[in-house]
Amino acid sequence: MTTATQDPAPPAEDAPAGRRRRRGGGLGSYLLVRALLIIPTVFILVTTVFFLMRTTGDPITAALGGRLPADQLAERIREAGYDRPLLVQYLDYLGGLLRGDFGTTLSDRRPVTDVLVTYGAATLELTVYSMAVALLVGIPLGMVAARLRDRFPDAALRFFAIFCYATPVFFAGLLLKLVFSVWLGWLPVAGRVSTRGELQLTRGDTHTGIYLIDAISTGDGELVGEVLRYAVLPSLALGLLTAGVFLRLVRTNMIGTLGSGYVEAARSRGVAESRLVRKHAYRPALVPIITVIGLQIALVLSGAVLTETTFEWRGLGFQLGQYLQARDFVAVQGIVALLAVIVALTNFVVDVVAALIDPRVRYS
Amino acid sequence: MSRRRTWRSLPVVHQLRQSVGLQRGMLVTGLVLTGLLVLTALLAPLLAPYGFSQLRGPDGTFGAQQAPSADHLLGTTVGGYDVLSRVLYGTRTALFVIVVAIVLSIVAGVLLGLVSGYLGGWLDRVLVVVADAVYAFPSLLLAIVAAIVISGGQSSLVGGVLAAAVSITVVFVPQYFRVVRAETVRIKNEAFVESARVVGTSTWRIMTRHVLRNATRSLPLIVTLNASEAILTLAGLGFLGFGIQPTAAAEWGYDLNRSIADVTSGIWWTSIFPGAAIVLTVLGLTLVGESLNDLADPRLRSRRRAADAPPPADVAVTPGGGLAAGTDGSTP
Amino acid sequence: MQRRTTRVLAASAASLTALSLAACGSGDDNGGGGSGGGDSLLIGTSDKITTIDPAGSYDNGSFAVMNQVYPFLMNTPLGSPDVEPDIAESAEFTSPTEYTVTLKDGLTFANGNELTSSDVVFTFQRQLAINDPNGPASLLYNLDSVEATDDTTVVFTLKTENDQLFPQILSSPAGPIVDEDVFSADALTPDDEIVAGEAFAGPYSITDYTINSLVSYTANPDYQGLLGAPKTENVDVKYYTDASNLKLDIEQGNIDVAFRSLSATDIDDLRGNDDVEVVDGPGGEIRYIVFNFNTQPFGATTAEADPAKALAVRQAVADLIDREEIADQVYKGTYTPLYSYVPDGLTGATTPLESLYGDGEGGPDADKAAQTLSAAGVQTPVQLSLQYSNDHYGPSSGDEYALIKDQLEATGLFTVDLQTTEWTQYTEDRVADVYPAYQLGWFPDYSDADNYLTPFFLDGGFLGNHYSNAQVDQMITQQASTPDEAARQELIEQIQQTVAEDLSTVPYLQGSQVAVVRSGVTGVSDTLDASFKFRYGALSAS
Repeated sequence: MTTATQDPAPPAEDAPAGRRRRRGGGLGSYLLVRALLIIPTVFILVTTVFFLMRTTGDPITAALGGRLPADQLAERIREAGYDRPLLVQYLDYLGGLLRGDFGTTLSDRRPVTDVLVTYGAATLELTVYSMAVALLVGIPLGMVAARLRDRFPDAALRFFAIFCYATPVFFAGLLLKLVFSVWLGWLPVAGRVSTRGELQLTRGDTHTGIYLIDAISTGDGELVGEVLRYAVLPSLALGLLTAGVFLRLVRTNMIGTLGSGYVEAARSRGVAESRLVRKHAYRPALVPIITVIGLQIALVLSGAVLTETTFEWRGLGFQLGQYLQARDFVAVQGIVALLAVIVALTNFVVDVVAALIDPRVRYS
Repeated sequence: MSRRRTWRSLPVVHQLRQSVGLQRGMLVTGLVLTGLLVLTALLAPLLAPYGFSQLRGPDGTFGAQQAPSADHLLGTTVGGYDVLSRVLYGTRTALFVIVVAIVLSIVAGVLLGLVSGYLGGWLDRVLVVVADAVYAFPSLLLAIVAAIVISGGQSSLVGGVLAAAVSITVVFVPQYFRVVRAETVRIKNEAFVESARVVGTSTWRIMTRHVLRNATRSLPLIVTLNASEAILTLAGLGFLGFGIQPTAAAEWGYDLNRSIADVTSGIWWTSIFPGAAIVLTVLGLTLVGESLNDLADPRLRSRRRAADAPPPADVAVTPGGGLAAGTDGSTP
Repeated sequence: MQRRTTRVLAASAASLTALSLAACGSGDDNGGGGSGGGDSLLIGTSDKITTIDPAGSYDNGSFAVMNQVYPFLMNTPLGSPDVEPDIAESAEFTSPTEYTVTLKDGLTFANGNELTSSDVVFTFQRQLAINDPNGPASLLYNLDSVEATDDTTVVFTLKTENDQLFPQILSSPAGPIVDEDVFSADALTPDDEIVAGEAFAGPYSITDYTINSLVSYTANPDYQGLLGAPKTENVDVKYYTDASNLKLDIEQGNIDVAFRSLSATDIDDLRGNDDVEVVDGPGGEIRYIVFNFNTQPFGATTAEADPAKALAVRQAVADLIDREEIADQVYKGTYTPLYSYVPDGLTGATTPLESLYGDGEGGPDADKAAQTLSAAGVQTPVQLSLQYSNDHYGPSSGDEYALIKDQLEATGLFTVDLQTTEWTQYTEDRVADVYPAYQLGWFPDYSDADNYLTPFFLDGGFLGNHYSNAQVDQMITQQASTPDEAARQELIEQIQQTVAEDLSTVPYLQGSQVAVVRSGVTGVSDTLDASFKFRYGALSAS
């Protein structure tokens, strides 16, 4: 959440510069350039993280620094190969990546690909839930705010939106826990399912890692209900944050389209206001929103680190925190590489969608 | 007379005068909250009943997790500190981190942007791709790694705070870089720069002046938004345990981190107050930022005109959303 | 879609009811009941597993699992820190350097394979061959070779004579016996293969295994060792990462037992809860302040080097620390004051620091500290740089050291410059003489007093704080090869006394083992002993 900062580059100012440089490229070549750019982006991130992680210490010292004499420690570090020149280790690592070998985690000895698949599923599940919350809350409220612009409900909703954004996801999580789990006792505190439920899932036939699907496939309604109950608080915490973003976005765009020429024209023809909103303002306003939904992935991934930590939701973000503590750089790099690819891919898809919807983008 | 006009046309003041109704209300609320933050930070030693790392009063230690009472209006933390004092002193850390982070990012971002946009070529392309990569990345993670690297050595009093500020800076630099670079590229090709070159004036000086003048228009907006981001990042770092130690400074994220176990025992005062402090601070800054943004966007200020592209800065206000602006803005 | 789900629901109603009954019952007086006398328990922990291959891990979380599923040659019976033969018939020195172990007859693994002397030889040779950086092979420092003389006899040849610690080492993380048909001889075996191969011959075997998430155990009928048959047939262990969630689950009855590590606040809160019982036992974890004899105030390499003054400074610190206050305020009784190097509960533990320093009854004494300093001619306040790790010994370290700083400064005798450093850097700095005084903690490899003395105070130990006392070195070496128990204990007591006078370190806290159980669960106090091995088999839900 909080920190997913990405920000304010006004594209309007950027555009003319771009236009000058890339005069008249067609859709095809535009997409090609965008696709090729994924490679250096991922490469840079993986490289940066590799070197940064190595400067923070090695996992052997992290695990045994308090127990062994210095010479024994050095011996073990040498055996594990962490005393080789950084560049050699780096090339080794890159070589592995190219062969599709992400390595094996140092702290719990699991193939990184295995970690990515297992925890990726959990993160995906949380992301989908919170996206649903965000859309269900954000879009309708945004439309209401735009229609009742400058009136009391609008003011209240805008405050609500800013409030959602201003509340760190972990604080929201703590509050939700305090109220709904500790005081009211309505919902579980943390985790993805109870231990009994987890046993049932492990013994079930389907192991997608997405608990809802696994639970449905066991055919046990109570289990499905339980899985959903566990998801409520984390989805709310992460979803409300994003809901604020959507609310504001929908409001802004609706106001824009409601005030645009063709809506004015329709209004002057006597089209009813409600119909105006539905037919003429709603759809055009959705275009940028669809784009932004894709872009929220980066936000949600950052938010996931904190949400997953708060609610002990064992996803990529949660594991990342654990591996960082253990200085398990193989695992951290694997997760980071995956996140980088996801973010780069989403950006690419968004660009493609934007280019398809609005031809002007291709040239700017 | 002209002096008066200058004063009135200052950023923020200008917008305040320009605003009406609800927008004015939001702007004023934001300014009041932000003002309170600054005032509290300045007056913390006078306002706080105890020191932020004080454990002992005249009658011995305060005791841990004491409920709010006359001695400790907001109770004490699990570490035995006075909650009220830590919340109040926390404003200092927050303000310090905001100022350092923003100053550092502006300086670095502007310099890199100018150089990159002006020189162009190979260097420019590399910088743009790097900025894009850093930009597209979940920033909290980047801040965490930076925090580990920076505070790897000793964490002295100022060191801990600086580590947080610098790690936030890493994340912000690309934002300023983009704005300045784009502006530089645009101006470089303007006629007046060409002509200046012909006359023999230093193009570098002209550009710097023009770029900076144009950039200051959007500066208050970016600054307020980044300030709120800085607070959230600092709190996030503290919450994940990569923050400032309690004896070095009072930091809300750290206090929240320590209050996790309290929450499950129904001890609410150790988390609610630092949490509320974060929310109010970010709320204040965001209200200011958003109001400035509304006022800068003609569509939102009046119902006259319309454009179908999303309003750039509005997207920017929100985390993640800004990526939209990012991707189509900076493709080399 | 929705309609279909509903139908599936109805169809499975029967199995659902059965499962949920079992699920709900466990918190109360119901042990699950039913077929095969199999009751079950659900245990929660915030431990972490590295791997369940004994050659690849050397940490509490992994060892906790190994203690349930692997047999040992020597092991500690419930309630005692001292070792006895586990799956061995007998074990003894047959010559000064030969330790001979005879196995019981007819031992088997859960998979049906026979457990013979060749598995034992395989186990130890494998440990030495793999010598994994994260493994416990270094504990076998004194093992020269191991061979099987017949199917049930194994002879260990040792490098030094009469090593009294070797039997203890056989019960340590280096000692779990593994199946040669399942484990690889020269590489770590993945956990999944171990579980699939049922290479278990301990009290339990693992039926389901998801690392650091959920492990299910069922009693192993073939186990004939020291610990006896488990009281509970099936045990499931859930791994938590956030201790507060563990607390809420035990509180709400979702689990039957919570063991390691609840926060002090949570334990304090649970003590007042009638549905659960908080059980304390001695713990092996200790916390202490290390003084670097070179760089501490008046240390050997400082400008004003003076051993007498340096000693006075250490003594003053020992006089001023209020252990009770730290234990109560920061740890709410989950740690207890420690007045020696060997923690309470172990054979040979004494409390020399209690009478030597402070008010003589365990409390601090500011006047005594002031006298000690002025008698040595030390000018006050003394500037002391104190370092702690904020990310290795739990989140309360910050509070712990803030309080120590406060205690030292409250008297005006010290000015403390308190600093913290992230762990990996910390471990490099501390041996590079960067910190004059710093925090460390210790968890034993095996429960013998020696493990709290040799690694610390023998020349060349891991502390690297330039403390050296020939008399201490001599006594430490001597006790390790003294077969007579009483004589050995006397030596251990003397070592504690001597080091307490020198103050190489100032020990101040001992962690308790705290387990929280739902009412109705019994047997926890039996296994919370100074062996620091938590045996699931001792527990039962009545």
